[in-house]
Amino acid sequence: MRILRYILRRLLYVLPVLLGVTILVFFISHAIPGDPAQMIAGPKASRQAVEEIRRSHGLDKPLPIQYLRFVSGLVQGDLGRSIRNHRPVVEDLKDFLPATLELTLAAMILCLGVGIPLGILAAVKRNKLTDHLTRVFSVFGVSTPVFWLGLMLLLLFYRNLGWLPGSGRLDIMVQPPPQFTGMYTLDALLAGQWATFANALWHIILPAFCLSYVYLAIITRIVRSSMIGVLGQDFITTARANGLSEAIIVLKHAFKNSLIPTVTITGLSFGELMGGAILTETIFAWPGMGKYVVDSVNYLDFPGIMGFTLMVSLVYVLVNLTVDVIYAFLNPTIRY
Amino acid sequence: MDAAFTSRHPRLRELLLTLKILSRNPSAVAGALIIGIMAFMGFSADLLAPFDPIRINLSERLNPPGWGHLFGTDEMGRDILSRVMHGARISLRIGFMVVAAAGMTGSFIGAAAGFLGGRIDNLIMRVMDVVLSFPPLVLAMALAAAMGPSLNNAIMAVAFVMVPKFARIVRGEALAVKEMPYIAAARVSGAKNFWIIFNHILPNCMNSVVVLATLTLGETILIAASLSFIGLGAQPPAPEWGAMISVGRKFVMDQWWYATFPGLFILFTVIGFNILGDALRDVLDPRIRR
Amino acid sequence: MKRLFLIVVLGCFGLLLNGTVWAAGPETLVVGVSSDIHTLDPSVSSDNYDWRQIYPCYDRLVAYKAGSTEVEPSAAESWSVNEDGTIWTFSIRRGIAFDDGTPLDAGAVKFAFERTLQIGRGPADNIGAIDSVEVLDDYTVQITLKNAFGPFIQTLATDAASIMNPNIMKHEKDGDLAQGWLAENTDGSGPFRLAEWTRGQRAVLEAKPDYWGGPAQIKQAVIRFMSESADRRMALERGDIDIAENILIDQLPALEENPDVEVNKYPSQLVEYVYINNRKPGLDDPRVRQALCFAVDYDGIIHYVLQGQGVQMRGPVPEGMWGHKKDLFQHKRDVSKAKALLKEAGQEDLELTLIYSERRSSWEQIATILQANFADAGITLNLELMANPTLRDQVDKGNFELCLGAWSPDYADPSMFMNFWFDSDNWGLPGNRSFYKNERVDQLIRKSVTLSDQEKRVELYNRAQEIIMDEAPYIFLYQVKTIVPMRKNVKGYVYNPMLESMYNFQDIWKK
Repeated sequence: MRILRYILRRLLYVLPVLLGVTILVFFISHAIPGDPAQMIAGPKASRQAVEEIRRSHGLDKPLPIQYLRFVSGLVQGDLGRSIRNHRPVVEDLKDFLPATLELTLAAMILCLGVGIPLGILAAVKRNKLTDHLTRVFSVFGVSTPVFWLGLMLLLLFYRNLGWLPGSGRLDIMVQPPPQFTGMYTLDALLAGQWATFANALWHIILPAFCLSYVYLAIITRIVRSSMIGVLGQDFITTARANGLSEAIIVLKHAFKNSLIPTVTITGLSFGELMGGAILTETIFAWPGMGKYVVDSVNYLDFPGIMGFTLMVSLVYVLVNLTVDVIYAFLNPTIRY
Repeated sequence: MDAAFTSRHPRLRELLLTLKILSRNPSAVAGALIIGIMAFMGFSADLLAPFDPIRINLSERLNPPGWGHLFGTDEMGRDILSRVMHGARISLRIGFMVVAAAGMTGSFIGAAAGFLGGRIDNLIMRVMDVVLSFPPLVLAMALAAAMGPSLNNAIMAVAFVMVPKFARIVRGEALAVKEMPYIAAARVSGAKNFWIIFNHILPNCMNSVVVLATLTLGETILIAASLSFIGLGAQPPAPEWGAMISVGRKFVMDQWWYATFPGLFILFTVIGFNILGDALRDVLDPRIRR
Repeated sequence: MKRLFLIVVLGCFGLLLNGTVWAAGPETLVVGVSSDIHTLDPSVSSDNYDWRQIYPCYDRLVAYKAGSTEVEPSAAESWSVNEDGTIWTFSIRRGIAFDDGTPLDAGAVKFAFERTLQIGRGPADNIGAIDSVEVLDDYTVQITLKNAFGPFIQTLATDAASIMNPNIMKHEKDGDLAQGWLAENTDGSGPFRLAEWTRGQRAVLEAKPDYWGGPAQIKQAVIRFMSESADRRMALERGDIDIAENILIDQLPALEENPDVEVNKYPSQLVEYVYINNRKPGLDDPRVRQALCFAVDYDGIIHYVLQGQGVQMRGPVPEGMWGHKKDLFQHKRDVSKAKALLKEAGQEDLELTLIYSERRSSWEQIATILQANFADAGITLNLELMANPTLRDQVDKGNFELCLGAWSPDYADPSMFMNFWFDSDNWGLPGNRSFYKNERVDQLIRKSVTLSDQEKRVELYNRAQEIIMDEAPYIFLYQVKTIVPMRKNVKGYVYNPMLESMYNFQDIWKK
């Protein structure tokens, strides 16, 4: 019951933050140089056409009115129309979201799948060579510019070795699998198209590794330090005294207790992964929201930029809310 | 300096002690060394760099690394080594300006919120929460795009994004300091709020601010370089590292050196700040956890 | 645990071996291009990269002859025009039908033109000479112009004059004239139709076996969006794509060494030039503008940045377009003359700002070179890179001093240059981006565009060009060569300067 109340309170707390987010995004999008009506009308449009668009899009109204229109549109899932293709931004984002989700999830799986064992290893072999190596690795991780890393990976694995493809989600002649989730690896599996699955997987390896690299480093460090904390506690010593094998102690007892900080950092990392996706997708020509927003920046397509910004922050807030809730379940001693 | 002098200046003594501990920490020394080299390179680039970083020389376009040009040349025939050296100055300047601006604003906001408490605290921290509910790169990108692509706008955008970090830390400290008896004493003797914030609250938060600032410097340099890479930061012909990689990317398949060297410099500079920051944290403030 | 590891490693190797299974057969042509489609609606798009897909899906009344800027009958069998050139009557070829069996008739032509004009975006300006369209009988249509307009018949071969199926109106939503639907679909009577468009990845055009002009040789054309030039180049070398678009000039030498690749170069009519804002103090003095023109190292730019793949402009009308004046004055770099002119004008320490965008990959280099060139003549040039829409906005408002620009004609007529660039009614984005005004020039070019006698038109334009070279409202840089690298087994490609970035898919085949 107390958990329920906590969740409710946490939800209520999210509302003003979301309101603030919309205000901030709205005001950013109105600080823009350049006449939006002219941009929508296109390069060779006549002046009457521009004025007509200004009126029909409500761009001649005072700012507070425009804000209200913006919010009421938002509630109905309207993020405005892209200047590039005159299409609702929501539609664009819908098209590009699955690719980003696929990439982010793949990166997340890599992070946890490699980061947790590595962290455990470093904790168990504390101050031995393995530990030092993981430390060096993680310092490099948080210090590497993602876009540069991507270029170097391309140079090595695509240009020089020719092992992995350099761009896109599938080879040119491969038809996208029937759409269920929009994530090609998953869709291909669901449709039983093994060759397409292999091709999609083959394409996701480099970008997913590039994107995961930074958070791999962070997660490794977090797992390591919380494991070290747990391994020093009394119950572990007791378990050891009872003659339990070291492997069982590490995997069953210590690891379970170090999950909590891992969950927290995973939630926080999600937002950063979205930021990283902007750069990774650009480098690997991965047709997701990140590449979409960089193309929008180059075109100064503000509805596109702001739609992306809003959407990401929305997801970010919700993911962290979820993490807090999970946290509440994992750790009953939390103060509500 | 004799013991009597330092004992009369407790802060100085503390500083000396910190430096002494740090000098025994190998990673702190390594970090400081890297930053020192970068700073030296950046600030004496005018003297040390073998070529003019801006002047074009079309007959030497895209030469591979060799004795004439250690790091090769770019598509304008400019020496990449010279550009990278000058770039150190730009990146460090961005880093310090952002951290100074965000650190000062954030600390003040945080101190005010923590010390004044109540509604003001609530309001300020909610606003900070709003800023924190965007991934840093995403918000900085949106801001920089809205203000128009230029280095100064990028600096402002990144600084804006970094403010809540400082505000949060300082607010936490301020809440603790506020309960100290000497604050009550100052209040009783009629001190103004601002005076108390500047003379008691902020000085007591210095340690955590310094640690956070060092760690933030690395992150700032990365974000600013990312913005330049997308085309929203430094403008040509400025030899900013991220902008160099952005152009070098077009040539990376054939002229590997163009994008590689600026990236290595970003990497090492950020490593420098990160390991120094980690070491500082261990020494100064065991409470901050990233 | 170890076995699992082994399986994972083997699996990875299996993936590495994956690869060449997916090569395209001889019936599929693959083009690697730099940017995604924005819209497929011919009434909306003013972008050659969209036209690449739209153009082969539709028919127009007239078409360009292969590789030529002259037009020939297409959906119209023949046409006639009245004495003063304002009423045009077209008789339409029978037997052309849209995919659903609806015939392409006079009603369809009327529908298409009226729709484009009503939507009022860029394409409406291309056919903007049209006042009204009337159906005389099922296969005869009569078009009345607002005024006589010399290049009118040319405009009917542009993408803007594409004829779409009137039945698209069943997809209309909220009175949008089916814009929402047609932006993502095609419904024309052309040799191809859109079969797939996966945003950010690829579009597939499939050939219609029953096209009235005879079916294409290939079964489908796959257009793959690859934003990086280096990526396209590597894909072309590996044979993953057959044609690569927009390859950086610096990557051409590597391609030229590849025995399987042919690098074709064609003189285009795409020109790059600098707008000098004639309204800004200092720049309102023709001597200063002349000095700027003399300061530029044209040969250096063409030699190094374009690697020789360009020709210096001689006046506004490019080589290959009629009206180009072969003996017109041309600026050459002369720093001392530039300095002398500046001294004469009393502008010895001039400081200017050049704005530019990244629309063309060479601009950053050009801007940097101009900066260095101007410095030699004692002019300080600041560079300001901005996003293209911001730049357009500044240009439209006249909020700039110097700006880099590119221009390519939409139809084969020198008015695309002379009238757009110099008519003082076109200040700002419409075309006169240097805010130039000369009444004599206005008179000459306005007169010329209403005439139909080409010789008289050339004479009027020549007189205007002489005045223009004296007053130097722009810095004319160069016209580029269009470079189309393709695999050697691709045959039948014909370049047409009016169809920049567009491919004659119906005539291309692979050996």
